[in-house]
Amino acid sequence: MSLLSRLVNVLRASKVERDLDDELRFHIEARIDALLAKGVTRQAAEAQVARQFGSRLRLREASRDVKLVAWLESLLKDVRFGLRVLRKDLVLTAAAVASLALAIGACIAAFSLIDALMLRPLPVSAPDRLVYLAYPTYEPGSPEGDWFNYPLFQRMREAGQPHVDLFGVSYPSLRAAIFPDGGGQDERVRAQFVSGNMFELLGITPALGRLLAPSDDVMPGAHAVAVLSHAFWMRRFGGNPRVIGRTFTFYEHQFQIVGVAHAGFTGTEPGRSTDLWVPTMMHSAEALGPEGADWNWFRVFGRLRPGVRAEQAQAVLQATFSTFRQERARTFRPDDPRDRTERYLETPLRVHSAANGPSELRRTFERPLWILAIVVSLVLLIASSNVANLLIARAAAREREMSLRLSIGAGRGRLIQQVLVESALLASVACVLGLLIAAIVGPAIVNMLAPSTDPAYLDLRLDWRVLAFAGGIGLMTTVLFGLPSALRASSVAPMGALKGTGGRVTARLTLRPLLALQVGFSLVVLFVASLLLLSFLRLTRVDPGFSQDRVLLLSLDTSAIGEDQEKARAALQLLDRVQQMPAVDGAALSQWALFEGSAWTNSIRIPGREPEAFEPFFLSISPGYLETMRMRLLEGRTFTPRDIEPDQPTAVIVNQAFARRFFDTTHVVGRSFGRPVSGEAAKSSVVRDGLLPQEIVGVIADAKYGNLRDPAPPTAYVPLRGLGTLHVRAASEDPLALAPILQREIPRALPALRVTNVTLQSTLIANSILSERLLALLSGFFAIVGLLLAAIGLYGVLSYAVVQRTREIGIRVALGARPIIVIRTVLAHILSVMALGIIAGLGGGLFLSRFVEAVLYEVQPLDALSLALPVCGLLVVAVLAAVPPARRAARVDPVVALRYE
Amino acid sequence: MMKRHDSLQGALPLLVLKILLRRGPLHGYGITLHIETMSDEVLRVEEGSLYPALHRMEEAGWIKARWAVSEHKRRVRMYEVTAAGRRQLEAEEGRWHAVTGAVAHVLKHA
Repeated sequence: MSLLSRLVNVLRASKVERDLDDELRFHIEARIDALLAKGVTRQAAEAQVARQFGSRLRLREASRDVKLVAWLESLLKDVRFGLRVLRKDLVLTAAAVASLALAIGACIAAFSLIDALMLRPLPVSAPDRLVYLAYPTYEPGSPEGDWFNYPLFQRMREAGQPHVDLFGVSYPSLRAAIFPDGGGQDERVRAQFVSGNMFELLGITPALGRLLAPSDDVMPGAHAVAVLSHAFWMRRFGGNPRVIGRTFTFYEHQFQIVGVAHAGFTGTEPGRSTDLWVPTMMHSAEALGPEGADWNWFRVFGRLRPGVRAEQAQAVLQATFSTFRQERARTFRPDDPRDRTERYLETPLRVHSAANGPSELRRTFERPLWILAIVVSLVLLIASSNVANLLIARAAAREREMSLRLSIGAGRGRLIQQVLVESALLASVACVLGLLIAAIVGPAIVNMLAPSTDPAYLDLRLDWRVLAFAGGIGLMTTVLFGLPSALRASSVAPMGALKGTGGRVTARLTLRPLLALQVGFSLVVLFVASLLLLSFLRLTRVDPGFSQDRVLLLSLDTSAIGEDQEKARAALQLLDRVQQMPAVDGAALSQWALFEGSAWTNSIRIPGREPEAFEPFFLSISPGYLETMRMRLLEGRTFTPRDIEPDQPTAVIVNQAFARRFFDTTHVVGRSFGRPVSGEAAKSSVVRDGLLPQEIVGVIADAKYGNLRDPAPPTAYVPLRGLGTLHVRAASEDPLALAPILQREIPRALPALRVTNVTLQSTLIANSILSERLLALLSGFFAIVGLLLAAIGLYGVLSYAVVQRTREIGIRVALGARPIIVIRTVLAHILSVMALGIIAGLGGGLFLSRFVEAVLYEVQPLDALSLALPVCGLLVVAVLAAVPPARRAARVDPVVALRYE
Repeated sequence: MMKRHDSLQGALPLLVLKILLRRGPLHGYGITLHIETMSDEVLRVEEGSLYPALHRMEEAGWIKARWAVSEHKRRVRMYEVTAAGRRQLEAEEGRWHAVTGAVAHVLKHA
């Protein structure tokens, strides 16, 4: 019979069935006729024939198995049957599907995040031929640097020409732009300065107008043209095609929009979505000229020419890179530490694949996301074994049905298929729900990756990769939780099950390892989560050395004030005015806010000591800054307005760490050191041998600079001569209420100033521990889910055990066993399983903690607290889950129990 | 409880093929009758096994079936042996003789 006719048979099942019935009916009637002819009564004849035929059902089942594409037909039937069974146990099914959907959804969300941030290639042509350049920085926090300056880039681009086409791409940071239809208001756009050949080398085509070309990137300041991303065009301009030719103000130029890139291209940095691109030549003239060699502001990408290997390109570029550094080293001060200069000269240039795009966000979240992925996979395993538990328990209840089906001739394979179909139904419903959950959870996690003022963007579309992953997970869970109960169901011994005995020992044997696994997995999750939570809590309790409460930070646009002199004067006026406002508890300026991400390090020279490679941090602050920030002065004085006058350049305040690091004591008021200066600053009358003398006038308690984890770095505070970020400490509990007043009053007092951005110091500090927060929140959540699932599993297994042993318990009670003995009997084997699970879980947790350790803060995996917390949590939940079944066991009435069955 | 006669499945196809080859196209009931009469009622064909066996043999291509009308004007399904069935019969017959011969040998000399 051809496959086609078999398939036709499946679809026309009723016709085949009718034929089959016809054939059998003929046989039966002929047989009865023959018996009648022999003189047997009709009744007896019918009985004999029926006996001979056995069950007609079985006959049909066996016959049709061969007539049809067996599995396809039986599959349809099993699906129908499975749905019926699942509908019957609605609560059980709903619980199983919900827990599974949650776990699968979390896994899909984790996968799509990891895929979008780390795995998926850039949507450009031939991404595998794309490279980017980097070099080691020899700094513990950021092991590799990939920012370059324009003079070096120009030379490398020329030298690399035969092997690789290089192009520069600046960081996609948010910058202010003013669009004519925006009512003169600043708008924050994510803009990138890029080389004119970028679009061509990436193979990007325009959706509208034209893209940037090499001819748009020739003369500094001469190419005020911009290309919009498709997403920005849709969002900001509603996809209006007449946007071409419109102008906007950006970086002190009037830019003209010349085109829109095709949809789907959001830049070369996964994690950020670029709004518009402008030529590198439109960056400040300073950055592009020879003095720009100090200014690393963009990444260098390259497309390898056909047949060229990355190593070949590296060799050529390394030569240029090293030559450039040698030339630069000639301008270094003769007293610069030799080892540092040597390292500078010997720094290797690395050529990395840029197939998936270098990304700052990836650097921060690579490890946290993998940790998260492990946690959610463990939760999926817990959920799967839970469902397996439930299915096994139910299979036990269905023993009679199974053995009936077996005895009327159903094949064991068919029974296994039946159970697998049921679990596949569960899994596919859970998968579909999981995709929905992931569609909600994924974007929510993306929002947690970056502060709302500088949002992250990840393309979490539902593509074939995500669907394939979801399908794979569904298949895996089906096998994972379906197989144990399927094998068990099919191993039913028909006779025993029908008589009401037997088959149960196997149930208990299958349930126990599953329970141990569950306990183990949930302990691992709990352990990892409690490490991350403890670590996060400790981080939030870190004293930064200043008070972050009620401190408002206002960024000022000072471009309308030209001279530095004027700026310094304006600063004093501004502070005077703001300090007198009601509800203000202090105001000060500094060059930038702490924890903002900016930092200034500078080498120093201590009289009588060898120059050191180590560079302390610096921060320019106005008078009143230490008071406003509540930093503690330990010795000496703070800055006064006199300190910021010109020709008073020497006062400096240091923290304890600085004093200890460079003077081995904290009593350093009156001591001095030199700070190398160059350019305009070196022309001051007080500078000797290129060193600006710095006299320590005060010592303050350590305060952190940009990160909570590290101890406060040695820091020197110097007077700020000019404007910067305005710090205002509000007198009321709600500092943000002060913001509109300040925004209104400041331009009124000083018309040249404009407030461009307002934030809170506490927000900046919270933003600095976003990845820790993400990990703590999510792993905590999943630990609770895992614990809950384990509790359900335990409850189920115990309840099952009590039901199974009702008879035995009844006998024991009848023989005089006290309730406590009964409870102990029921719990005994569960406890050993729990102990096994806990030991295995601790082992797994400790193994995993080596991977987590890198993100922990002042938490040791082997701490008593780190170990006790998860174990106690698990035990408490286990006891709670065990109480109801244990009570049921204790209440077993011997009379009822013995009459049972 | 009824047990499944898996053992019969070895011999049943052999008998069916032989009967069909000797007597030409037959329906299922006819096959049963022939086996029973020819074995002097010693072999009783389990009807529960016959039809699955017939369909399996049809699947395997040893026999083919068509619908016909019987002498009593009933719709019946007639089976006949195919060329593949004939080859199968030869092989099966040879093996059957080998097995039964061996069994007889053991019975006689054990």
